[in-house]
Amino acid sequence: MIRYITQRLAESLIVLFVMSFVIYALIGLMPGDPVDLMINANPRATAEDAARLRALYGLDRPIGERYLAWLGAALQGDLGYSRLHSRPVLEVLWPRLGNTAALMGISFILAIALALPFGIVAALRPRTTTDTSINLIAFAGISIPPFWLAILLIILFAVVLGWLPAGGMPPSNAGFGVSATYLVLPVATLTIVTVGGIVRFIRAAMIEALRQDYVRTAWAKGLGERQVVLGHVLRNAMIPVVTILALNFGALFSGALITETMFGYLGMGKTIYDAILGNDFNLALVGLLLATATTLLANLAADLCYTWLDPRITYR
Amino acid sequence: MTGERRFERIAIVAEPARTLRGLLWHRFLEHRVAVGSLVALVAFVLLALAAPLVETALGLDATRVDLLAVKLPPSAAHPLGTDELGRDLLLRLLYGGQISLMVGLAAALGAAVIGTAVGLLAGYYGGAWDALLMRLTDGVIALPILPLLIVLAAIDLSKLGLPDSLVTSENASLYRIIGLIALVGWTTVARLVRGATLATKAREFVRAAEALGASHTRIMLVHILPNVVSPVIVATTLSIGNIILLESVLSFLGLGIQPPVPSWGNMLTNAQELIWEAPVLAVYPGLLIFVTVIAFNFLGDGLQDALDPRAIKA
Amino acid sequence: MRARLTTLLCAVILSLSTATMARAAELKIGLSQFPSTLNPQIDSMLAKSYVLAMTQRPITAYDQDWNLICMLCVELPTLENGQAKLETLPDGRQGIAVTYRLQPDATWGDGTPVTSADMVFTWEAGLHPKSGFTNFETFRRILAIDVIDDKTFTLHNDRVTFDYNSLQLDLLPAHVERPIFETDPAAYRNRTAYDRDPTNPALAFGPYRIVEVVSGSRIVLEPNSTWSGPAPAFDRITVQVIENTAALEANLLSGAIDMIAGELGLTIDQALAFEKRQGGRYTFIYKPGLIYEHLDLNLDNPILADRRVRRALVYALDREALNNTLFGGKQPVARSSVSPLDWIYDPNVPTYPFAPDRADALLKEAGWIPGSDGIRQNAAGERLTIELMTTAGNRTRELVAQVLQSQWRELGIDARIRNEPARVFFGETVSKRKFTGAAMFAWLSSPENVPRTTLYSDQIPTAENNWAGQNYTGFKNAEMDSLIDAIEIELDRDKRKALWSRLQRLYAEELPVIPLYWRAEAYVLPKWLKGVRPTGHQGTTTLWVEEWQAEAH
Repeated sequence: MIRYITQRLAESLIVLFVMSFVIYALIGLMPGDPVDLMINANPRATAEDAARLRALYGLDRPIGERYLAWLGAALQGDLGYSRLHSRPVLEVLWPRLGNTAALMGISFILAIALALPFGIVAALRPRTTTDTSINLIAFAGISIPPFWLAILLIILFAVVLGWLPAGGMPPSNAGFGVSATYLVLPVATLTIVTVGGIVRFIRAAMIEALRQDYVRTAWAKGLGERQVVLGHVLRNAMIPVVTILALNFGALFSGALITETMFGYLGMGKTIYDAILGNDFNLALVGLLLATATTLLANLAADLCYTWLDPRITYR
Repeated sequence: MTGERRFERIAIVAEPARTLRGLLWHRFLEHRVAVGSLVALVAFVLLALAAPLVETALGLDATRVDLLAVKLPPSAAHPLGTDELGRDLLLRLLYGGQISLMVGLAAALGAAVIGTAVGLLAGYYGGAWDALLMRLTDGVIALPILPLLIVLAAIDLSKLGLPDSLVTSENASLYRIIGLIALVGWTTVARLVRGATLATKAREFVRAAEALGASHTRIMLVHILPNVVSPVIVATTLSIGNIILLESVLSFLGLGIQPPVPSWGNMLTNAQELIWEAPVLAVYPGLLIFVTVIAFNFLGDGLQDALDPRAIKA
Repeated sequence: MRARLTTLLCAVILSLSTATMARAAELKIGLSQFPSTLNPQIDSMLAKSYVLAMTQRPITAYDQDWNLICMLCVELPTLENGQAKLETLPDGRQGIAVTYRLQPDATWGDGTPVTSADMVFTWEAGLHPKSGFTNFETFRRILAIDVIDDKTFTLHNDRVTFDYNSLQLDLLPAHVERPIFETDPAAYRNRTAYDRDPTNPALAFGPYRIVEVVSGSRIVLEPNSTWSGPAPAFDRITVQVIENTAALEANLLSGAIDMIAGELGLTIDQALAFEKRQGGRYTFIYKPGLIYEHLDLNLDNPILADRRVRRALVYALDREALNNTLFGGKQPVARSSVSPLDWIYDPNVPTYPFAPDRADALLKEAGWIPGSDGIRQNAAGERLTIELMTTAGNRTRELVAQVLQSQWRELGIDARIRNEPARVFFGETVSKRKFTGAAMFAWLSSPENVPRTTLYSDQIPTAENNWAGQNYTGFKNAEMDSLIDAIEIELDRDKRKALWSRLQRLYAEELPVIPLYWRAEAYVLPKWLKGVRPTGHQGTTTLWVEEWQAEAH
């Protein structure tokens, strides 16, 4: 097992290296650079200004050369400056990482906490009204586009009722309680759009597991529903669920772009998005590599979980 | 409901002999909600395809802008009213349905096929194959879709050898989106299939087949695939709704289906700013997406039950 | 007795403090973009200009009536008042020496006066090849600076243009920035105090100084003690950045912000819709700006090379109806690239009203006859098809493009819409002249801005000149060239106005560009806020923030 984990970690490092180049190339291949947009907005800027700025920002050197320069600096611990925020990359990312962890972490836990009981109940009573209602609510959640949900929640809770702030970040001197109110609506939006999908997966996995032969045996032996479910079925149903949870967790550090934009919440999603569109290589790369690393680690954790959930699974 | 009663009911209902296909179809039909969903979806598709007929019946032009008739309520001339440029809403919903349904289905199926193949191979062969394929999957998951889309939007497709008519057609953005989603959307299915393959592979009947000398392909297709198909169905039917909504988000970012081609997704995005004065412009496409999501997912449930040899009828 | 005195004293103190507390007014402004840097010389973002206008002032600026005024200087130097003198340069060309006197009371927030040393530093840093300042050309034109005293200096410019005394420059505080710059000029843009230490009082000499920055979210300002002008009315101004415009509206309604800045806020149609619903609660000001929305036509396209076709295209458009329906009449139809608010505007220039008959006649004359499917064809059987491109994701432009397509189809012109994301559109398609038909976008300009880069024949971007220039239409007209050359150096206002009239007339006759409309800015202000005066050009309302008043509310 230890050997397996070390092997996986080594592979992950290789993937990170490869991805760093792919992402760099991808961003570099995007047509137009920020100098163009700068020039267009300024009636006094001339073509000479543009050329000079490009040379200054190193935008006229070939991609491979720029990538190697970045790599060299990064390996020495210098992750560079963010051009869009005019401060070091880590200084920009650190607080936003925390914000995203809070937002996505709470939504994630809330979504699982809600989805598990509902998914299990729906699976135990297939095609009854309970099941259909749970399904319909789940579908409603996943059918609403996030920007619509966000604006509706803002209008209801911030404008009409005035209970919660409409968005933005809490004032610097705010206490824990006040800061928490700024999280309520974004968390609600994220949870509503993700919980439905998780409910569906749990339900499907449970139904599948409930049909196994050993379950029939358990029924036949006269075991009660709770014993059967909690003792036997749940564990075996969890494999696809763990897969989905790991994938969602991996998305944790790329954040939720639309939610963050609508609520003016400073998280990783919007930061990375702006960095990509603004050709802020340093920031975009570090942000995306963080997201990649999280995905790799989450999937590794999921794979390890498989062996624990189903001892018959081994890795050759 | 105890186990005894379940056994009772199965024993009593004696079924006539059927072919496998007949069995599947019969079981599907018993799933009333799924059947209803299938009917609804077929109706949507037919309606969407009938858009040109409706157009001539109403005597209107779906793309004609009429600045004097913007945001009108329903009337005899316009059964559902008009949008922000005076175009008939019903026609736009129908044409939009063509696009959205096509994008949803094509992209989801494409992703499912690729993902299943990758997952099966990785889970079954294990070892180096597994490592390679799964790390590739991780890489694709981590790929930022945004720059990819922008780069694709900028690539001159005619340089790739594609015919000119395709490149300059109004549907160029459509093919681009379907292709892209299929190429990056297969990762979830791949991970799911791999996980399920690992579990199935370890089971007795697979080991038996191996012992009997069945070929790899046979084992994968005949023994493993039917048992891993359940999460695939859920993921795929779930993803259709997600894809239609993803197109909406892409329109939000300027990378979706380009106007004047309507899609439910870009109609939703455009209606966002009109939420106060003309909420119906968002409600209609939103409702249609909602119903489509429900229908596809219940359909998936029906398929899941029909395909599972051990389905117990309730 | 003592008790009564104490009570009296307390009452007096209390009443005084309530009097001061009554002045404790706060203003929360909603803006849709956060500046990438606060350094006035790096990057050119409107969001940055908006905030900086409250903390410092340029040497000269254009006011609400589009007149050039002094902000940091005392008096506009002119040839008439002797503060500007023509001179001959060593190479024989004509130059001009312009002397500026800075406001005697202008003082940076830490007590250091604003001096000529700041001008010298800004210029030297600007000339440095590694500094990354955007307006390099402005600095390059200054050949030398004579420092006469702490508050007076003379610039020696390398050419004489009619705007010789316009110096819309924000000075950098030399006593703060010079040490940073000299340590490592190449890294200056990452180390500038404006970003590393934005709350440093020494960075502001205007009515306000920055006291808090939450990067990406908000900037908070409070009155600057060293400001010698009229005392500003607000004790605290918060600029809150909310990028989504629907969320901006919601924040305004919930009271999280008090106003939405017109410079970077709602689009016109959103503002109009908002006014219809909430009109009573807020004051709405719509000011058409110097944002010229138009269609650049690629004149290399044989269809568009024919002037009759270009004119027909304009006659076929009902731009007034477009303005009235989509923009509530707030975005006036444009006739040329010169704004009606500019003093050089000539109202007698030929116009193109909506006239489908004339369009039809012109097209027929050019050989385009309607075919069987309604689309016109010429004798060779080619269809009248042009590509119409604009930025994807910009809802207003997408709508306008569809209207244009529909209106042209009525006359048998087939317009194919092909939108691209902004960076592709500007970065590749427009800048490298890859569009084959019409490209819709906007030019931002300034008062009396000479259209050299957009209309001069040597400014056509090609692969040979490394895509320099903004003459995307490919317009080559000798008369236009000579007019541009003449206008730039004509110092006499009347003669210049005549030249401008001729330029506008030529523009209208030749139509290298189809003018659409002037984009307006929508200001949504609370009823109690007075004194906000939009300029209609790039000058922000915050350049006069000390004039804003809060009535009791």
